[in-house]
Amino acid sequence: MILKVENLSVTYAQKTAVNRISFHLKPGEVIGLLGANGAGKSSTIAAVLGIEKSTYDELVIVGKSLIGNRKQIFEQVGVQFQETHFQDKLTVSDACEQWQSLYKKTNDVPALLQAFGLEGKGKQLVKLLSGGERQRLAVLLALIPEPKLVFLDELTTGLDIKARRMLWKQLLAMKENGLAIVLTSHYMDEVEALCDEILILCEGQTVFHGTIQEALAASGNTKLEDAYLHFAGEEEQWG
Amino acid sequence: MKTMFALLKIEGKLVWKGIDILIFGICFPIILATLFGYLLSKDATAGSSNFELSYAAVITIGVLATGVMGLPLTIADYRHRGILKRFQVTPVSPLQILFAQGLIQLSSALVSFIGVTLVYYLFFDYQIAGSWLMFLSVYAFVIVAMYSIGIFIGSVVPDQKAANMWSSIAYFTMLLFSGATIPYEVMPRLFQWVMDILPLSHGIHLLKMVSTGGETAGMTLPIVILGICTVISLIGAFKLFKWK
Repeated sequence: MILKVENLSVTYAQKTAVNRISFHLKPGEVIGLLGANGAGKSSTIAAVLGIEKSTYDELVIVGKSLIGNRKQIFEQVGVQFQETHFQDKLTVSDACEQWQSLYKKTNDVPALLQAFGLEGKGKQLVKLLSGGERQRLAVLLALIPEPKLVFLDELTTGLDIKARRMLWKQLLAMKENGLAIVLTSHYMDEVEALCDEILILCEGQTVFHGTIQEALAASGNTKLEDAYLHFAGEEEQWG
Repeated sequence: MKTMFALLKIEGKLVWKGIDILIFGICFPIILATLFGYLLSKDATAGSSNFELSYAAVITIGVLATGVMGLPLTIADYRHRGILKRFQVTPVSPLQILFAQGLIQLSSALVSFIGVTLVYYLFFDYQIAGSWLMFLSVYAFVIVAMYSIGIFIGSVVPDQKAANMWSSIAYFTMLLFSGATIPYEVMPRLFQWVMDILPLSHGIHLLKMVSTGGETAGMTLPIVILGICTVISLIGAFKLFKWK
């Protein structure tokens, strides 16, 4: 098991942002956290990574508890946060060099740049990249440590269709090699292309957890988007 | 080591690409040093001349610009952009990138110090009267105190705007009213009372004493004040620091 989350909750002041969420991930598996904005997807990721206070029964990342093992865990875990910002005058190659220097073992960066369509952009300032290019760079940096597990929060927001497909292809190839992925996305085609399992959140509650087939069967829909709305929408009316 | 070296290299590039340090931290004090060389009286009949006293003040401008302005602005900026948060999920602590940034700022302050010292020595035949060892120790102490204040500001401000405001207040107040630019001695008594509150006034006072080789009996009070200021700043920064 590469990731084990058991009854994780996040509470801000009075509000429960994430309520007793549980999921597991084996090498090569991809789970998609779905839900409306503010449903608790990013809070879940932040809590799993230990940068948000949370309570849980069990939280094991790459076989270790986060407490006291931060350094070893993050040698093997890559993270792309929603909206990545960089230092004002940082160039693409500096961004890569900086990130490479943080890890003992790293992926082949020129090959990654090639795969992400960023070759030849090395000298360019990150802030002058297009939104899509910057997003690709953010995902690329998450893959620099040659991770066993990667968290991608809204990985293709702002990307054009071609770039999205390119990114999926890259991630699927890495998944074949055993990379486990936790992702969030608002695009159901992306979820269908990448995820083995989905977890739909609504106001911090798990309203569905299972495979895409199970979601379709349980909701009586033929399209994932309808199934998603069935689970996420229904709960909203109750709320 | 590999990490620190890479971080230093990149932070160095980022700092030096910005023109502010060059203008406020290096060119400004060097120009001021040259002006003082021409304008201030070198008459030393009453102890030390105004020109001799000014050396201790001008060498703190680079420290002020980097420590109280550059450092807190960068800390707030890196927090605001989520760079500290991104470092939190790597094997390396975000403190390392801030440490690298601090070292780069410090190196700029030292370039400023060397530049000002060269102007005083080469163009105006200045000669430090006390011991260099003593002088450099006190200078290091003043640097630590000023950087602590900067770290404190950077740690507690809620956002970029507040960082800008508080570091500007700290920077300009101390630049104008601690004797760094306008000598303490020429200020009206009322202003001198206000100046006595500012930590850098005490730092400059100490530096004046050791650079003119004066008696060291009066050093205890300024040392205690600067020491307290450093300790409070660092404890406050430690307790109140926010990553995001």
